[in-house]
Amino acid sequence: MTRTIFAATLAGAVMATAAARAEPVTLQFWDNQQTESGLSDLQKGAVDRFMKENPDVRIEVTTIPYPEYQQRLLTAVQGGNAPDIATLDQIWMGAFAAAGAVDDLSEMTGKAGPKRDDFFSGAWDSAVYQDGLYGIPFNVDVWQFSFYNKALLESASVDPQSLTTFAGLKAAGEALTRDGQFGIGLFGHKGEDTVVVMNSFVFSNGGRVLDETGACALNAPEAVEALTYLQGLVPYAPKGILNASSGDMRELFLNGSLAIEFWPALEQPTLQKSKLDWGFIAGTAPEGKAPVGTFGGWNLALFASSEHKEAAWKFIEFMVREDVNGDVVDLIPANKKAAEAFLEANRKDPATVMAHLENAAPRPLSPRYLELADAELRLAQEIYGGAEVQAAADAACEAIDALN
Amino acid sequence: MLWLLIAPTAILLTAFMYYPMVGTVIESFYQTSFINPRPQFAGWAIYEKVLASREFSEILWNSVVWTLGVVLLQNVLGFLVALLLNQGLPAQGLLRAIVLLPWILPGVVTAILWRFMYDPQLGLINSILIRLGLLEDNVAWLAESRTAMAAVIFAAVWKGFPFSMLIYLAALQNVDREQIEAATIDGAGPLRRLIDVTLPAIRDVVAVNVVLTMILTFNYFDLVWVLTRGGPQNATHIFPTRIFETGFGQFRFGEAAAYGVFSILVLAVLVAFYVIVQRANAARRHTA
Amino acid sequence: MRRSLPARFGLALLQMAVAAFVLIPFFWMLSVSLKPTTEPFAIPARLWPEAPTLANYVTAFRPEFRDYFLNSVVVSLSTVAITVTLGLLAAYAFSRARLLVITGLMSLVVLAQMFPHSAIIIPIYKMMRAADLLNTYTSLIVAYVSVTLPVAIWMLHGFLAKLPVSLEEAANIDGAGPIRVFWEIVVPLARPGIIATAVYVLIVTWQEFLFALSFTSSKAMRTLPVGLNDFIGQYGIRYGELMASSVMVSVPVVAVFFLLQRYFVAGLTAGAVKG
Repeated sequence: MTRTIFAATLAGAVMATAAARAEPVTLQFWDNQQTESGLSDLQKGAVDRFMKENPDVRIEVTTIPYPEYQQRLLTAVQGGNAPDIATLDQIWMGAFAAAGAVDDLSEMTGKAGPKRDDFFSGAWDSAVYQDGLYGIPFNVDVWQFSFYNKALLESASVDPQSLTTFAGLKAAGEALTRDGQFGIGLFGHKGEDTVVVMNSFVFSNGGRVLDETGACALNAPEAVEALTYLQGLVPYAPKGILNASSGDMRELFLNGSLAIEFWPALEQPTLQKSKLDWGFIAGTAPEGKAPVGTFGGWNLALFASSEHKEAAWKFIEFMVREDVNGDVVDLIPANKKAAEAFLEANRKDPATVMAHLENAAPRPLSPRYLELADAELRLAQEIYGGAEVQAAADAACEAIDALN
Repeated sequence: MLWLLIAPTAILLTAFMYYPMVGTVIESFYQTSFINPRPQFAGWAIYEKVLASREFSEILWNSVVWTLGVVLLQNVLGFLVALLLNQGLPAQGLLRAIVLLPWILPGVVTAILWRFMYDPQLGLINSILIRLGLLEDNVAWLAESRTAMAAVIFAAVWKGFPFSMLIYLAALQNVDREQIEAATIDGAGPLRRLIDVTLPAIRDVVAVNVVLTMILTFNYFDLVWVLTRGGPQNATHIFPTRIFETGFGQFRFGEAAAYGVFSILVLAVLVAFYVIVQRANAARRHTA
Repeated sequence: MRRSLPARFGLALLQMAVAAFVLIPFFWMLSVSLKPTTEPFAIPARLWPEAPTLANYVTAFRPEFRDYFLNSVVVSLSTVAITVTLGLLAAYAFSRARLLVITGLMSLVVLAQMFPHSAIIIPIYKMMRAADLLNTYTSLIVAYVSVTLPVAIWMLHGFLAKLPVSLEEAANIDGAGPIRVFWEIVVPLARPGIIATAVYVLIVTWQEFLFALSFTSSKAMRTLPVGLNDFIGQYGIRYGELMASSVMVSVPVVAVFFLLQRYFVAGLTAGAVKG
């Protein structure tokens, strides 16, 4: 009797499994939510389109506000509850790859899949860790563009083009800082925006964060010169640099008391909505050199714990397709062709943005990037706080080299 | 029978407080991080590393200043406001209701609100102080290492003093009226009555209040995290912010666990120290 | 007590000072919430927006907000009910026990209050995951009950310890069973303490952030404090909508509190104040 029941149950279970196979698989997709855009509706449209093209796959999208995204992903992976697919910040790639949390996708791309040439090379390389490819670039942006308030520059007779050189930006800062008005909105709070701006000044001056051996190069002459230059801009910034974020500076820029501010191209839609007359130039470098920005952006990663990898890969391919990528990102599509169309339609002066993107440098690829960035943050706070630059850079390098 | 009543509590606390805490203590002896999930036994190495770091002494010092500062100010202010609300003045029911508002406001909201209040250019605080002529120029309260801790403490006191006030108010309403009247007839002024009658009568309440606010303040995370993230540099870094940053921000679980263990030890020492002093005082008073 | 005119004047002034200290930030919050998003922040700060509008409230009162609200209500009320019930039982046992072992357990309860939540959250998350409870009300309620129980027991214990045992003994002699004694004598006498504890637990859970963040991933399960993050981006905060939401988040607790504050103060008077 017991045996019959057991057999029946087993048969039932087998049938249930067979039935389940015909059922659509459900994929969990997590994405960072930029509050500034009404992106989720557009994404919904694209996801619906994917499900129509692939009736056997269902996608459940969870958008997560940035401040909590890192913690949520971390807890989920630690607890064995990761989504199938998620967008990962470029700077997390090393850690997630080293932890074995996300899959190497090299084999998948080997066939007919997405190719490096289709994407911004800096974005593609941000997903490469120890010869493996752990994500497909989803969207990109570059820090920083110098946005300026046209009226303020005019009234101080500052030529916007002069902001592209180190000397010009400093002179502009001086000319634009007067009673109740600030020249340049520096920010140095404990956040990644502080690091990327500092990096771009170092990069533009020919410096680097790590040299080719992986040793810290922030105390090399080019870097120290750039950091000294940044420190020289402090008198033209609003008070409170060490607790200010780029978001805090936005409010000052919008009310007309701040003349120049550093942002990625993502800031454009926000400014477009304001009544302000603004313009921008791509970064700042010493006379005669081209500014080098810091790459930022997100990659699509496939989690090792996923039970539906084939379907998940299909979804990743879909999301970075030329005709889709532009509809599902708020930064700039990582797919270059999609990016061209996107910039043309959504951004002022697309050629400048495109050129700055192609000339941007990535942040160091390290599984311990977050600790490295912490050392850089401390350096930034020392510099904006008025410390001696070489000594502060030496200390930062000591901390960074200790990570190896 | 009594065991049965305790059982559900015992099970819950064992499963969801003690078991995870023991796990954390064990983890602190292993070199574990997100990128290196296979734990390696490290013995006391992590503790030694943490203890030797300059950061640890900064965090320890900050935690003590933060906790004692908030506890002291919150209790003094809470007590004074309770005294005021115990005077039988007109409109005191309304005032009591108003005073409780900060305590009810969610912590995250409080933190964002105060961060904006402190904004050097846009914030209300500088604007008010300048208008009152108390300040000549804007001050970046949260960005200067000299003022950041004081600013954070001030916001915490604003949020926390209503709770202390409530408990003191309750205690004051329990003080024997006859004793106070007797003291008045003996010619004691208000201050003497406060010191000789009221304070001794509520001594136990003060003790409970201090211990409770000590524990809550020491582990209070949201406010400092949103206001400063522990900055500038480490000027406002305390144990809870450091644990969060190390664990969730930099993925180093072993070290975060060690900080967690230290944090319990430090808090226990603070509480024990206070309780011993308080008991000694009480004993002295009894013999006197 | 009769006071002289200057004394009365001085006290009134003090009252106003206290009210101002408390209310200024709230006033600012309200002011920001009524500021149109197109109106920039002024320097120096303007106390009241030029053209106040309710637009931020309209945006903030999204369908999600109603979900978050409902979730918060369910989780908070369940937590209050369970914590107070279990806390009352345990506190009663602790206050009536003569065994040293049991009173020793009481100090373990107090000790648990000192654990830093960020250090124990990953182990708890793993347990919730193993029990397949993530993204459910249960996970939050269980966690909240665990973290609020120690304080609740402490508050109730102080209260129950002061109730005269003689009443219960008399009832016992009259033949009432232990359940009846508890239900008909202890609970009614402890009512102010129960209300005080309940309000305390409600206020703590209504604000809780870390557990709510970790245990709920889907939008449909988020609670209000976590939902506020929707207005905080990677590069900036939408102050107007955030403050409008904050006002809406605070109103229910404020309302409950005002209704119950009389009992709350009475409860504290009789209870938690005796350690």
